[in-house]
Amino acid sequence: MSNYYNMPKLPTENSPKVEIFVDDKAVMVPGDTNLLEALKAVGIETPHVCYHPYLPVSGNCRQCLVEQEGPRGRMLVISCYTPVAPGMKVYTPASSARVKNARKATQEFMLVNHPLDCPICDKAGECTLQENYMEAGQNEGRMRPEYGKNYHGNPEHQFIDAKGQLRGGKRVDIGPRIFLDEERCVQCDRCVRFMRSIAGDEQLQLAARADHTYITTFPGEKLDHEYDLCVTDVCPTGAMTAKYFRFQKRVWLLSHTPTVSMDDSLGANIWLDHADGKIYRMMPRCNPEVNRSWISNTTRLACLEFGKNRLPAIDMSAIKLEGKVAIVAGGECTIEDLAAIKMLAEKTGAEVFGGTFKKVGSPDGIAMSGDPMANRAGFKLMGLADDNLADLAKRASEFQTVIIVNNDVIGEGKGAADALKKIPNRIVLGAFDNETAKMATVAFGINHWSEVQGTMVNSLNMIQKLNAAPTAPDANLQPAYAVLSALAGTQFTSAFEAFKKAGEYASVLAGLSYDTIKSSGKLLEGGNA
Amino acid sequence: MREHIKGAVQEIANNRLKFDRPEQPQVVYPTPADQFGHVHKSQPQPSREEVFAKMDTPETKARVADLLSRYPVAQGALLEVLWLVQGMFGWVPTEGIRWAANVCSCAPAHALGVATFYTMYNHAPKGKFMLQFCRNISCAIKGAQPLIKYVENKLGIKSGETTPDGMFTILQVECLGSCGNGPMMLVNDDFATDVVNGELKMKRGTTLTEASIDRIIDWCKAHANNVPKHDVLGGTVKGHSGHPGAPGAIAKPQVPDYAPPSPVLNVKAEADEAGATLTWKGAPEFTKLVVEKKDGANWVAVGEPGVKDKAFVDAAGKVGDEYRMIATSGERVAKPSNVAVTTQKPAPVEEKVG
Amino acid sequence: MAECVKVCTENFGKGAQDIEVYKKLGGYENISERLFNMSQFELIDYVQRSNLRGRGGAGFPTGMKWSFVPRGTGKPVYIVVNADEGEGGTFKDHFLMLEDPHRLIEGLIIAAWALGSRAAYIYCRGEFLPCIESLNKALNQAYAAGYLGENIMGTKFCFDIFVHRGAGAYICGEETALINSLEGQKGQPRLKPPFPAVSGAWKSPTCVNNVETIMALPWILKHDPSEYAKMGTPRAGGTKVFCISGDVKNPGVYEAPLGTPMMTMINDYAGGVVGGKLKAVLPGGSSCAPLTAEEAAVATMDYECLASMKTMFGSGAMIVINDTHNMVDLLNVLGNFYSHESCGQCTPCREGTGLLHRILNQIVAGNGHDGDVEFMQSLCGGFGGVTICPLSISLGGPVSSYSAKFRADFDEYIARNPDHAKPRVQENYRPGIFW
Repeated sequence: MSNYYNMPKLPTENSPKVEIFVDDKAVMVPGDTNLLEALKAVGIETPHVCYHPYLPVSGNCRQCLVEQEGPRGRMLVISCYTPVAPGMKVYTPASSARVKNARKATQEFMLVNHPLDCPICDKAGECTLQENYMEAGQNEGRMRPEYGKNYHGNPEHQFIDAKGQLRGGKRVDIGPRIFLDEERCVQCDRCVRFMRSIAGDEQLQLAARADHTYITTFPGEKLDHEYDLCVTDVCPTGAMTAKYFRFQKRVWLLSHTPTVSMDDSLGANIWLDHADGKIYRMMPRCNPEVNRSWISNTTRLACLEFGKNRLPAIDMSAIKLEGKVAIVAGGECTIEDLAAIKMLAEKTGAEVFGGTFKKVGSPDGIAMSGDPMANRAGFKLMGLADDNLADLAKRASEFQTVIIVNNDVIGEGKGAADALKKIPNRIVLGAFDNETAKMATVAFGINHWSEVQGTMVNSLNMIQKLNAAPTAPDANLQPAYAVLSALAGTQFTSAFEAFKKAGEYASVLAGLSYDTIKSSGKLLEGGNA
Repeated sequence: MREHIKGAVQEIANNRLKFDRPEQPQVVYPTPADQFGHVHKSQPQPSREEVFAKMDTPETKARVADLLSRYPVAQGALLEVLWLVQGMFGWVPTEGIRWAANVCSCAPAHALGVATFYTMYNHAPKGKFMLQFCRNISCAIKGAQPLIKYVENKLGIKSGETTPDGMFTILQVECLGSCGNGPMMLVNDDFATDVVNGELKMKRGTTLTEASIDRIIDWCKAHANNVPKHDVLGGTVKGHSGHPGAPGAIAKPQVPDYAPPSPVLNVKAEADEAGATLTWKGAPEFTKLVVEKKDGANWVAVGEPGVKDKAFVDAAGKVGDEYRMIATSGERVAKPSNVAVTTQKPAPVEEKVG
Repeated sequence: MAECVKVCTENFGKGAQDIEVYKKLGGYENISERLFNMSQFELIDYVQRSNLRGRGGAGFPTGMKWSFVPRGTGKPVYIVVNADEGEGGTFKDHFLMLEDPHRLIEGLIIAAWALGSRAAYIYCRGEFLPCIESLNKALNQAYAAGYLGENIMGTKFCFDIFVHRGAGAYICGEETALINSLEGQKGQPRLKPPFPAVSGAWKSPTCVNNVETIMALPWILKHDPSEYAKMGTPRAGGTKVFCISGDVKNPGVYEAPLGTPMMTMINDYAGGVVGGKLKAVLPGGSSCAPLTAEEAAVATMDYECLASMKTMFGSGAMIVINDTHNMVDLLNVLGNFYSHESCGQCTPCREGTGLLHRILNQIVAGNGHDGDVEFMQSLCGGFGGVTICPLSISLGGPVSSYSAKFRADFDEYIARNPDHAKPRVQENYRPGIFW
């Protein structure tokens, strides 16, 4: 691809509406975008392979063809690279046989050298080629064995299989986290564009040319980047597959829960894909304002550990509050948890401490803000301290009881919080049996953030919703807000009850409900304390 | 006090996994090619130190500096730098590609893509004499394939292979741009249809024949120890001031105002009852236009049409009046246009009904 | 055959590679007050009036192309000379650069004056090393003589020419692919717009011209533009350097006015068909549709006539084919060529050219079946106008036109397969079982 391909312009809520004619019918579409997005906005899906809204347009798959009326008559154009112009006349397969045939032909060419191994392909079920095949409606295969296939592949990986057919590279270990199947690659160069334009590290390239083109890294080097698993998301076929998910589950057996990662204060929007109460993978959930279509490997691979090393639920009676109480809240506490903490603090006169001992970095410009304290903005919004753990360590002797909620202060503090061990009554509310839980007098298992409903405020001051995936290892586990509010005397029976309580502490939340916060979040005006 | 914790899985203590740790034990997965056997042998490559040391000569450095000075962006020189590598090794080793990428400050993977895209970069050592035969249409019409078969039989190798003594490599290539002399071959970098006076020559009206191929191969064998070498980039050019702007710098445009300012072209005047109508051809850079009319011996300005206007009407104009126009571009005033003598506008042709 | 004015080839065989000889022959006379007193606008208008059309194949009017280049944007303007001559049957630029490099330099100075360019690149294909050597030698002489460099001949004008050696990719003859290659990228055509005239090499205005176009400029400037215009047809002025190859007595490079009858070119210039009777002529390089002997008898070599015969003038490369050849063999050669030279960007071209070549291979190997030709024709229907550049049509066009005009050749090959009437059967295909 050329260096100079530009990012597509995407429609926004503020896009001017212009009138265009689709199949001779007038429709109003966003005027500052490309035709593909504009047609999508009025409900016309255009099959495409190489186009991705957050990657530069390279226009090489030729699948998104439409007809446009021009000075020289009706011409086939690719809708991903054609800007919307007022009054333009566009013809889709609904009215134009030429477009239908052209898409069908492109579809056929796309599959000429593509292996027919859908039954054993991990991408089956969410493969763009399969979707396009159903869309473009190619009914009869015209390829014959005598014509042969020219499988794409690095000559060094080529082999002759049991049937005597020359094959490209299968199961190429291209990086520590990814397998490459060279035969399945359709040369859309999305991964190349991702690595060059988004990751900023051009580790992948299409080598050779014509139908010998294959994806490769520089010989002897591996694909290794904090965001490299995103290439498995953008890959339209089963060429790039993640090792961690390979052959784990058929994708149509997975259920998807839209939620927000509490791994980082940007709050990357994610899908938790789970089946049978187990999380199999985490996928980015597109949010144009937050993480677009990307999540980091750290965020993504953490999901494999959500079900492991968990604290079990125990009886509430084990928790006794004595003397002066300190509550230590961690960044994974949702707004609802914070409301319960605040209520408990008011009830018992406890002092609330917050913060993290983890290193705070800087935003990487892709999908990480670098701040591991996810709900820091929520702490500020609720009027809670978000950075006074060192203060607590100094004043530890003042307290007789400490309640640590979702904060591995001992493990992460590496000695800085060891003073807490001297507090006689140490109650830990957490999902994992970590070092803090190990030093507790009472270790009380609660739900992990992936299993609770709630809200968080990210570093962009957007309030975002978490949804509960039904993956809790123990049905008796409760969310932190339920436990804390019970300690305070009035137990919240639902997350929204806690959220309403939060509205009493932070006026900006008062008018909100879960329904008025869209799935892409809601920007809070002036809520940042 | 931890007795109540039972059955909790004790796998790891931290859910924040850092998968980007430098050294992680990796499972080595065999590829099917390891099982079924590789079709192509992998080419043994010289080490990085070896390649970088070999390229680290004063001549190469000077050459690279000259090449980089030609382009506004260092990456522009990539093809030429890869040629230098090929000139040094006779082929392009992997680490040579990395060296070229370093020189041109681009990603090694990008340079790999470029080096494999173009077919003239060899990725394995070739024989001393590369016999490249054109297989394209004009040469095919004139019988290129039988000649290639002849050479293959004569040297005992197939196209793409090298003789065991490392002397000859036969390649079939696409059009060599000498179809008038087809069939045509390149011996390394020389077009050749015959040997004339001890030199390879391509002469008008001659074509390759079995006899001339014999002579060429004999010539090659005679020159086995002194293979004529061309500079890979056809020599250097002295005296150029480099690209306007060093690599990475913003390229400088041409000196402004090097040429005289543009005058108005093609001024025409036609008169009818409404006066004289002037038309002209204007340049996009005009900022001001003045129409002048001849009054005795003097030119008198009669109007200033807009620079985007297509026509100008002088109501007092009549047949025989002389007009000219003067254009201003920025601060520069151009020479006057040609003088237009007003002619009678032809009467519009009336369409006859019926 | 009438003696015609030689515009580009007048110095052939006169040793004009040397600057002294070239100057004696009237070279560099334009680089004087005559040029320096002209404004950019006047010079572009001058070229427009000469009716010069691009000689690379598309035939776009050169003056109009130049007028699209924005002036005074503050960005550098690049001229790129397309010397990536790779189309089968075309070899004029090779000899033009070899015989008369100084004319190219002189033409470039004129073009640079018109466009306000400070740097020009001659993108020469990698196989033409002798041309590059000849050009570099001429450039050294021109720098020494003060025609290039800073403040040329005492004016404020600065101009440098660099020769860029390509490395073997036919597709780099497409102008945006050529620009990508010049930038050190893979030679893959870019999406348009933006067109190079606005945003080409390094995002600057760039004008890509063929060698022959630039080499016509010194003659045009020395004479009146109308003199050049009147040599050709009303819509395309001047002479053209024709390359005649294939089955003719004297193949080679011939300069003749546009509009010369095709049979005049073959019989008078090239000495007639040898080895058999005339079967077909490819009038504009390997990618155009062939003309049969009957069509060739009435064709004239210009843009309009050949376009009306559903073929193209292209680069003026006539390939003459006699009746001893089977067109399927030649089509197979083209299939090999275009499937090898596809840049691998657009799906139809990348996969389709290879598939067509494999089918052609089957036919040539004696494994053809009835219906193969129809299948190929149907595949070529999927090429039309759907790819970034026309390389896919360069193979699709010949496949369609060869099989339409010379169907007997295909049938002859297919008949060599004793089982040709049986349809090809899909492996594992069992009727009635839903897979």
